[in-house]
Amino acid sequence: MTTTSDRTVKQHPLKLFSYTTNYFWLLIIPLIRSLYSISLDVDSLRVWLMGTWMDLLVIAAILIFAWRRWEHVYVRFDDRRISVTKGKIYSTCDVIYYDTISSLSVNQSLFLKLFGACNVTIGTNAGALSRASDNISLTLRKSDADRLYARVKKSRAKSLRYSVTPNKIRLVLYSFISSSTLSGTVVILAFLYETSRMFDREVEAQLIMDTLSDVVNRASAYVSPVVAGVSVVLIVGWLVSFVTNIFYFWSYSLTRCSDSLYIKSGLIERNRHILALDKINSVDLRQNLISKLLRISSLHCDCAGYGETGRSETSVVMPIATEREINSTVVEIFPTIPTESVYHKPKLDLKPTYQSYWMFYYAPLALAILPLTAFFVLFALFPSWRSVIRVGLIVAEIPAIWLIIVKTLAIFKTGIAVNGDYITMRYSSFYTFHTVVVPKDRIVKVMIKQTYLQNLTGNCSAVIYTASSGISKHVITGLRLNRALAFFEKNGVDLYFE
Amino acid sequence: MRKYQPKRAALIAIDVAIVVLAILLTAITVGYLSNYKIIMTLLLCLFWLVAILFAAVLLPAYFSRTVIYISPAEISMKTGIVYVKRHHMKFSAVQYVSTVTTFMSKYTGLNFVILRAMGGTMILPFLGVEDVREIEELMRNS
Repeated sequence: MTTTSDRTVKQHPLKLFSYTTNYFWLLIIPLIRSLYSISLDVDSLRVWLMGTWMDLLVIAAILIFAWRRWEHVYVRFDDRRISVTKGKIYSTCDVIYYDTISSLSVNQSLFLKLFGACNVTIGTNAGALSRASDNISLTLRKSDADRLYARVKKSRAKSLRYSVTPNKIRLVLYSFISSSTLSGTVVILAFLYETSRMFDREVEAQLIMDTLSDVVNRASAYVSPVVAGVSVVLIVGWLVSFVTNIFYFWSYSLTRCSDSLYIKSGLIERNRHILALDKINSVDLRQNLISKLLRISSLHCDCAGYGETGRSETSVVMPIATEREINSTVVEIFPTIPTESVYHKPKLDLKPTYQSYWMFYYAPLALAILPLTAFFVLFALFPSWRSVIRVGLIVAEIPAIWLIIVKTLAIFKTGIAVNGDYITMRYSSFYTFHTVVVPKDRIVKVMIKQTYLQNLTGNCSAVIYTASSGISKHVITGLRLNRALAFFEKNGVDLYFE
Repeated sequence: MRKYQPKRAALIAIDVAIVVLAILLTAITVGYLSNYKIIMTLLLCLFWLVAILFAAVLLPAYFSRTVIYISPAEISMKTGIVYVKRHHMKFSAVQYVSTVTTFMSKYTGLNFVILRAMGGTMILPFLGVEDVREIEELMRNS
């Protein structure tokens, strides 16, 4: 039944372009180029049309299909629910009541801002049954997105309990620490991919090579060209990641009401999120080696829909907090979590023993051996390239040495603790230290895993799966089997098979 | 608590399939590589070594080591040869159950039960048709 507060809207016309195929631009760019190159007279136009009529038909068909698809998507929302109707011949209607929403995210990037549009993502635990992409993603006009956000906000409790805004220096520090060359490279690649869809690839490649070679030439005056080249790529990647993080987390603010979290951030882009507190599956304190040395950490959470559309940093609840502050911060944001669970040195009930310490060095050893093997092979094949190969080996061994340091620290930090209805898992995954706190009833599966060698030596790894919209597993390495079995049995998980 | 183990029939069915595959690969190798005796012999040795390893050693070990216990509230499974894995899942975590039955599975034992939880799955392999029905019934009543 339609009420007076009902509002039916259509998506922003920009969405139409996401309904076309990814290769749409590959068809349209050569056409525009050839049209641009012809002289302005009727005969030339006729010749151009004779040569390209098939391509034009395909483009028209793609646009018509996209327009038809866009035309038949209706978003209707009132004070209690939102429904999204899609299709004309084969029609589907998704209805979501606001009290079942896990997260609502409204993001407006610079590009969307130019067109007055916003991306809206609605996450529910229903998507957890199949895959994360079951979240509803819409592109709405900003005014419509604001109205939807206001409706969902109105349906939540209004009692303000806690509000925090980290200062700018801390946000810069967090962006500095959490920036990585890898994520920067991913952003650059995504940017290049997007631009390559619009511009001539040769021109783009030439522009990049010219810029890079200019920088490398200048740097080559001080170091070897290979070192200069690799350094430039790494530094540019890191800088892009750093700037992206600054733009995302600037003006970050978190507000907790009795049933929801409200998060706002962004320098030029604006990001707003509403998270239902009772639908947050787990919280995760993350640190890398540098932040561990600086005694700071960032607080993330697992909530369906939140942080699933972007990089891993976007599942953050509190970008940065010192070890002294983290206890009070978690208690303020998640008051049901016992203080002992998140204390930076929680008492661990199950932890590695000296007989199982070697298990932490599997990954670093593999990472160290691979470049070494490649070094000997390349050295045998190209002996004249000795200096270049040696530099390559040194560069490639740095991540392995870094990982050895991380894993050595992890030996003393890994373990599991139980506090009331919550389980705390401390472990390291690659270069990141995690302290995950999860209610016992959100643990969906426990697995104890032993390799052949571990079976002989009585060691094992515990893999704990927690409720999540995707697969969320936490691997606690370096445990003694008898102790692990006894620990889990004490906590209602019988894994004895004898 | 009920105990289940993979059906012997499934092991026999897979062994037969492995032998048939090895024979096919042998025929193809002999047909196309008869002029290259050394390569042909090496490949044949490789095929049959792998076939014997799987059919006579790994799969029988896997089948004999896999054991499933189902109680009214939880399910546990121990399995694996190179990696020994002990799984445990509470029924309360299971969101839905999928069963996979294959052609002639009544005789081959190639039936699987997949327990899907929010954030993890558990696959119970090579069960008899009666076992699958029983597990479904247990899940329904839990």
